[in-house]
Amino acid sequence: MVESQARRFFGSRVSRIEDDRLLRGRGRYVADIELPRELAAKFVRSYEAHASVAEIELGDAVEAEGVHAVFTGADFADSEIRCVSSYEGFQVSAQPILALDRVRFAGEALAMVIADDEYLAEDAAEMVFADLAPLPVVLDLDAALASDAEVLHDGWTDNAYVRRAVKTDGFDKAAAGAPHRLTIDLRNARHGAIPMENRACVADYDRGSNRFTLHTTTQVPHLIRAGLALAMDVPESQIRVIAPDVGGGFGVKAQLYTEEVACCLAARELGRPIKWVEDRREHFVASHHSREHRHRVTGYFDDLGRILALEADIRVDMGAYSVFPWTATMDNGMAMGILPGPYKIREYSATGTPVCTNKTPYGAYRGVARPAACFSIERLIDQIARHRGLDRAEVRRRNLLGADDYPWHSPSGLVYDSGSLAESLESVLQLGEYDVLLTEQAEARAQGRLFGIGLVAFTEQTAHTHQEFKQRGVPIVFGYETAKVRLDASGTAVVSASIHDHGQGLETTLAQIAADRLGLDLDKVRVEYGDTNQVAYGAGTFASRSAVLAGGAVTRAADDVAATLKEVAAHELEAAVEDMVIERGRLSVRGSPVVSIDISELCRLTYQRPERLPEGIEPSLESSRTYDAAPGTGAYTNAAHLSTVEIDPMTGKTAVLTYAIVEDCGPMINPMIVEGQIFGGVAQGIGTALFEEFLYDENGQPQSLTFSDYLIPTSTDVPDFAVAHLETPSPFTIGGIKGMGEGGAIAPGAVIASAIEDALSHLGETVVTDLPLTPERVLTHIDQAIAQGEGQ
Amino acid sequence: MLDSDDIGRRRREPAKRAARDEIDMNDRGPVRMKPPKFDYHAPDTVREAVAVLADVGDSAVVLSGGQSLIPMLNLRLARPTDVVDLGAIDGLANLEPVDGGLEIGAMVTHRQMETNDLVASITPLAQHAAGFIGHRAIRNRGTIGGSIAHADPAAEWPAVLLALDGTITLASAETTRTVPGDQFFEALFTTAKRPDELITSVYLSGRFQNSWGFSEFQRRTGDFATVAVAVGCVIATGAVVEARIALAGVAERPVRCPDAEQALIGTRPGRAVDAAIAARDSFEPVGDCHGSTEFRKRLVFAETKRAVTQALGPDLESRANA
Amino acid sequence: MRDITVTINGRPMSATVDPRLLLSDFIRQDAGLTGTHVGCEHGYCGSCTVHVDGASTRSCLTLAVQVAGRKVDTVESLAPDDETLHPIQQAFEDCHGLQCGFCTPGLLMSVAELANTNLVCDRAKIREHLAGNICRCTGYHQIIDAVEQALAEIREVQIDG
Repeated sequence: MVESQARRFFGSRVSRIEDDRLLRGRGRYVADIELPRELAAKFVRSYEAHASVAEIELGDAVEAEGVHAVFTGADFADSEIRCVSSYEGFQVSAQPILALDRVRFAGEALAMVIADDEYLAEDAAEMVFADLAPLPVVLDLDAALASDAEVLHDGWTDNAYVRRAVKTDGFDKAAAGAPHRLTIDLRNARHGAIPMENRACVADYDRGSNRFTLHTTTQVPHLIRAGLALAMDVPESQIRVIAPDVGGGFGVKAQLYTEEVACCLAARELGRPIKWVEDRREHFVASHHSREHRHRVTGYFDDLGRILALEADIRVDMGAYSVFPWTATMDNGMAMGILPGPYKIREYSATGTPVCTNKTPYGAYRGVARPAACFSIERLIDQIARHRGLDRAEVRRRNLLGADDYPWHSPSGLVYDSGSLAESLESVLQLGEYDVLLTEQAEARAQGRLFGIGLVAFTEQTAHTHQEFKQRGVPIVFGYETAKVRLDASGTAVVSASIHDHGQGLETTLAQIAADRLGLDLDKVRVEYGDTNQVAYGAGTFASRSAVLAGGAVTRAADDVAATLKEVAAHELEAAVEDMVIERGRLSVRGSPVVSIDISELCRLTYQRPERLPEGIEPSLESSRTYDAAPGTGAYTNAAHLSTVEIDPMTGKTAVLTYAIVEDCGPMINPMIVEGQIFGGVAQGIGTALFEEFLYDENGQPQSLTFSDYLIPTSTDVPDFAVAHLETPSPFTIGGIKGMGEGGAIAPGAVIASAIEDALSHLGETVVTDLPLTPERVLTHIDQAIAQGEGQ
Repeated sequence: MLDSDDIGRRRREPAKRAARDEIDMNDRGPVRMKPPKFDYHAPDTVREAVAVLADVGDSAVVLSGGQSLIPMLNLRLARPTDVVDLGAIDGLANLEPVDGGLEIGAMVTHRQMETNDLVASITPLAQHAAGFIGHRAIRNRGTIGGSIAHADPAAEWPAVLLALDGTITLASAETTRTVPGDQFFEALFTTAKRPDELITSVYLSGRFQNSWGFSEFQRRTGDFATVAVAVGCVIATGAVVEARIALAGVAERPVRCPDAEQALIGTRPGRAVDAAIAARDSFEPVGDCHGSTEFRKRLVFAETKRAVTQALGPDLESRANA
Repeated sequence: MRDITVTINGRPMSATVDPRLLLSDFIRQDAGLTGTHVGCEHGYCGSCTVHVDGASTRSCLTLAVQVAGRKVDTVESLAPDDETLHPIQQAFEDCHGLQCGFCTPGLLMSVAELANTNLVCDRAKIREHLAGNICRCTGYHQIIDAVEQALAEIREVQIDG
């Protein structure tokens, strides 16, 4: 039970504590770390997508200027990354640290050059020649599943990592009885998180204590420790993982990578720190990709447009290897679970197949499968609206879950705790001035302009813990986070947490929580994270969970410490513990505020004057607690997005003109930070919708290797945002907090597709099913719409 | 600023086992981001610079602003033995009105072109086009001479040079010569400039200052042109008597389109569309990850129509919206 | 190797460098100023933006030898002291114009150039000026808020001054 305590900082737009150092250029990112005697690593990578490795000729590399060593697969053959799902029938892949006899994607590391600096390491890397004999390349997930496809891993029966199916008992009957059905096929392009900081790591090995220290760009330091321990067969206690400031993650830094293992092993081998800083071209091929989903969805619905049953086939191109700690089934599981979305759908049937191909392995990216799931269900809703001749908002009204439906047991087995879907839809129509937009659209059309409105409602599963991850078959069930709160002798609170902050503002929001619970000013709270030596265990930051779980753990630990303070203060003030009030840096007696003592004085007393402590109280102001947001099924944030676009009819180029968001993530710790998370997510979603795609040629050669070919939205591609909030507390979490970090990125693909389709709807019918909506693709839709319209 | 037709879009070979000498691991393995070793020269005068070039010959490159060259070095797509840096040479960054046109020193930056009053009054097309080049930080350092020497077929300056009947002045240890723009650009990244020569200046005609147009398709602000069209016209008593239309991004070098130019001569209405059709039908741009041939042809139509409409203005092109 | 002297954040610094050394690496490694971040090394992301003789410059597209005898300013030069932030930095803090902080130094230097050359800008102009600085976290909105605030602040100080 969490006691009530006055909220002074919770809910307010306080400036971020971390900003001062970041703005002054005093952040400390991994590439900024320089250890004495460190050497630079550079990897030689495969230029073939699928090949057997005939020979790796080191040539002059070993003797080249400044070179200390060149490692190849055999040197690290005792280690590998293997992540096994508990799903029955899962086919296991083992990713070597450096390729052994076969490479399975272009960019897979073949050799590792260690030299005095990066320039010399690159010079030597050029001297290494890998003799690769090409094998048939499996690039497309349909082709991968064909009966005659080359099977990519030894001992596998086909290229499906696993095949899964779920179906409600009443599905067949509901589907058969439905008056209408519609099927659409949808494609989301392979793209990725692409943080501005590439990956990097510095590995150090202490021969005296046999201990590794790895500084690395990760969102999940404890999981990296767990993964390294498995990969290298070393006890976790011999590994310390430190993630200092990290320049954005968005999921791509939530997996263990072979380079991290390689740097540790090389450091042990050479007895010197090894630093590797990924370059941007490497990032495009060696850092995990995401988002490549193909769905076939069928909606069964009645005359009023109400969905009676939903059917989905979900295939995801997971690339060459199963990644740690998520396995290769993560996206599939999430999509199968969340596809029914915010709608009152009772009957559901879904099949799912994560597929192995000769592409870069596939990891997490903000929203994990939810953008594709949202795209599918929202595209379906729009088609139902058109089929029934209904306004898109109206069809949504008829299908959305109502306030009375919570807790909602979804047909895929999820438990939606609470929400305000209908209200958020109506609010976004108001905020975005839907009625005005309809008039504007009519005027635009009269002028021959292509102006469209997109509308989407969705629910964002957040802060799910053991119940969800158990179902997803991951080997490590991510159930809880840990926080330790300690008051030092001068009255400053140090909060240590197992989560990581790489832009989400947790350094500030956790301080806001701790400050309130301890009655301190914000500048009396310091938040630490990113070091496995600080707290015992935890998972890290992903899946919109850190504010909820770390926030809960901080609340618990801070309350423990506050309780001790109250004991000490009551003893000092000769009052009853129950009468102690903690606020504004002091403990006082309820009703007699003048009878009080400073927290800093209490801290000094506790540590330095143990003889004055009450009996039974230890001289310690520290507590380490965990929090798992029982029952572990998650807290459901919901939102509605409304956007307008204008299309250049001659070139197909789409401009996003306006974008309105109404989001309900429960009580907000810091609305300014919440808005930043939303806006950033939406901008990434605009990338998903209009720009981003990893392209390959027919041989599996990556085509997107620079920022001139892989296009990230810039400041002129993203509009100003309008935002409003609702605050429905979760019944499941401490403080009613819900997660929200991913939400912004979930809807834009669906919103903009809807808007583009709408912009063309007066010309004729065309169904937008593929992302991204490049100008060329949009021109095709314009042509289709005109042709269909003329054919009428 | 990168060269969109070069970086990350290497020639693809069919999937056969390559012999060692067929594979440049660097070219195909995406792992290089630091320049290779080279000898560095920083001459104080043009005379010294051309002497170095005469001495080291083919394998030297000239470093001007570096905004095309340094990305090529970082990616190790360029591997010169010697780099001749013009940064210490005075007098290569002047702008001078000459014979009604503008003499532009090779080291004049894109930013100077964007903000200089002489450029705005004598060659407003050039001033307008400068704003499309990369971003401010790129324009601050990138130079007109560097861009023209690099001869990226998707770059703005080569097309502008052709539209404004420009010439290029080249210096070598032996001599100085002036080459018309029409003869300068030969192939992909290949020009009439010999390895021992240095571009010292560029001349743009001022006779198009009253009738010009420029339109460019960029995916995002500052991106290299997918297609750009530059138009310069001379109008006498209401009729077009001379027209130059140059396109970037449609061929392996910047090119003029005689058929489209012909369509503009005279006083006939509806010429923007005619020119746009002529331009579209004149080229088969190579498709890549930014768009197919067919898509690019549509861009040629769109941008030609827009540039011509801008050049002729609403009075001369009353049916521009056809 | 080549001897160069560069005035970096107001202090002259001499070094012997390989001509191929990029200015970004020189700033980070030789000068030890790690506030300048390297995001792409091919001139697209803008994270490494510094000023050379007052003009914004991609330090990854510049060789260290090219700035011999010149003045280089990095993000570390902006704030007047440890207590006070530059008005641009303060506005970024006030408006939540940064999240992970990686692109921020480059952005600040681009904004500083804007403040030096064009103090009156609407949001569209600001967006255009900053289109060469990719931020993957913020979605730009709060950055544009921050720049509006900073420019207004600087205008006011200039009028008062």
